Amino acid sequence: MSVLLLVVLIIALAALGAPLFALIAAIAYLALRAAEVESTVLAVEFFRLAEMPVLIAIPLFTMAGYLLSESRAPQRLVRLTEALLGWLHGGLAVVAVLACAVFTAFTGASGVTIVAIGALLYPALKHARYADRFSLGLITTSGSLGLLFAPSVPLILYGIVAQQLGTNPPVSIDDLFLAGILPGLLMLVALSAYGMWKAPPKQHDLQWNAREAWSALWDARWELPLPVFVLGGVYGGFFAASEAAAVTALYVLVVTVVIRREIKLVELPRLLREASMLVGAILLILGVSLGLTYVLIDAGVPEQLFEWISAHIDNKWTFLLLLNLFLLVLGMLLDIFSAIVIMVPILVPVALSYGIHPVHLGIIFLANMQIGYVTPPVGMNLFIASYRFNTPVMTLARASLPFLLILFACVLLITYWPALSLALID
Amino acid sequence: MQWLSRGLERFETGLLTLFALTLVVLAAAQIIARWIGQSPEWLALPVVGWLLGWTQWIGPWVDPFLRVLVLWVGMFGALAAARDDRHISLDMFSRRWQGAKLRVARVLAFGFAALVSAMLARASLGLVELERESGTFLFGDVPMWWAQLILPLGFAALALRLAVRGFSRPAPVAT
Repeated sequence: MSVLLLVVLIIALAALGAPLFALIAAIAYLALRAAEVESTVLAVEFFRLAEMPVLIAIPLFTMAGYLLSESRAPQRLVRLTEALLGWLHGGLAVVAVLACAVFTAFTGASGVTIVAIGALLYPALKHARYADRFSLGLITTSGSLGLLFAPSVPLILYGIVAQQLGTNPPVSIDDLFLAGILPGLLMLVALSAYGMWKAPPKQHDLQWNAREAWSALWDARWELPLPVFVLGGVYGGFFAASEAAAVTALYVLVVTVVIRREIKLVELPRLLREASMLVGAILLILGVSLGLTYVLIDAGVPEQLFEWISAHIDNKWTFLLLLNLFLLVLGMLLDIFSAIVIMVPILVPVALSYGIHPVHLGIIFLANMQIGYVTPPVGMNLFIASYRFNTPVMTLARASLPFLLILFACVLLITYWPALSLALID
Repeated sequence: MQWLSRGLERFETGLLTLFALTLVVLAAAQIIARWIGQSPEWLALPVVGWLLGWTQWIGPWVDPFLRVLVLWVGMFGALAAARDDRHISLDMFSRRWQGAKLRVARVLAFGFAALVSAMLARASLGLVELERESGTFLFGDVPMWWAQLILPLGFAALALRLAVRGFSRPAPVAT
């Protein structure tokens, strides 16, 4: 009875807008009290944040992403993709998909993509006579595209949380970076193809212009090495993820502040504060969920959950289908960072016992969560796009529906075709 | 009150900037130092030797220092996020509510968060005391509990700030 009362209380507080870290910490605290364990455990687990060598990648990539989005890098990225691909039929839709994906990979889908890239592309799409509804849906959905590409912060966070569990086979961030490539490309190609199909018949396709292409490339000369650091460095095995983060952050700082001078020195504290707020919010929920995970594992919850599930589901494929449905609902309710830190410690052991590779699980997890960005009631892209384009949330949700169906088909393919994720890793 | 709050914000932002820049520069310097240290022999020009001398101060203390710095940046970021109502929450109703309803919701939600933060501050104090007794070191002769002090201090400050936020107007929507 009292447990039920507590559950109702927690849900009520969540609905009233209590910060999630406080809810997680409260649950962990109550569970510790029930097990008669000292609450110091929460602090011990929280301080483990200072013992994770890879964690540094999160603040470094987040800072790099904020600096890039405040510079004129978004304009140059759009110009470059437009110059290179604008001549295709439906080229502008392809440009939108590609530019959003690249940008999201670097900014970790914190919603900046819609503001920085979407705001540039929406007028361009309208000008090229794409249907308004199509353009809104495309931009709202593309705002979280690219989550599966290095160095997206959710991908790194999944790796960090899964590493804590000491799985066999192990999960390395570098493997996750590799595993995301083909599934991410699948989503890009699917959305681009739909965009080309829906492009207006007499749209104002751009002429191929070699001079503009060169000039756009030259214009982006300082940004072009960035994908090389991350992709070449990590994929080529020269850097670990945290080293790529350090090099990227310093490079972006020097380029935006010293070389291009698009960010004034006096603006730097405000920007670093912005980035640190996101880092702080993520670390806080990560730190308290380490405590919750300790409690859950101590109480044997993953084993019980597995026993209960395996009593009802005897094969991997049914489990995966239910996992997809569960993650979709989870993505509708929770933001991606909280979903990762809370659910991954519980899901990984269960998925392992069904013979699912933890790296594959990570890709499934993120691919599902990506859809959650665009679904009511808490889809972040919907709110940001609604605010930015001054359009009701429900209109945007309807406009995004065809794109969501395509992404959902991709998610199913990613789920049931493990080789797509695992082919590039050993 | 206004000047106090603004002064505090400046102080926090200043420290945060210092920490964040140190994090970026030191993390990159460490890698560059490693490259220089590992550079092949045919590159052993005087300039490399000079650089190597210059990077001598980058030692084994850097790794633990950076890991702790990440936590410190995170805690200061969490304090800043509390000031701007930017902590991750589900927020199903408060977005639509106004007036008295919103005020009551904020007092309840943030009051609860303040209580939990206070609990975390106490638990962290326990950790610091344990660590002081065991006398371990972060690196060199820097005691581990110095690094851990951010937890009780940070959570106590967070508790105070969340309590204040409960009685304040919501921060404007950020984008």
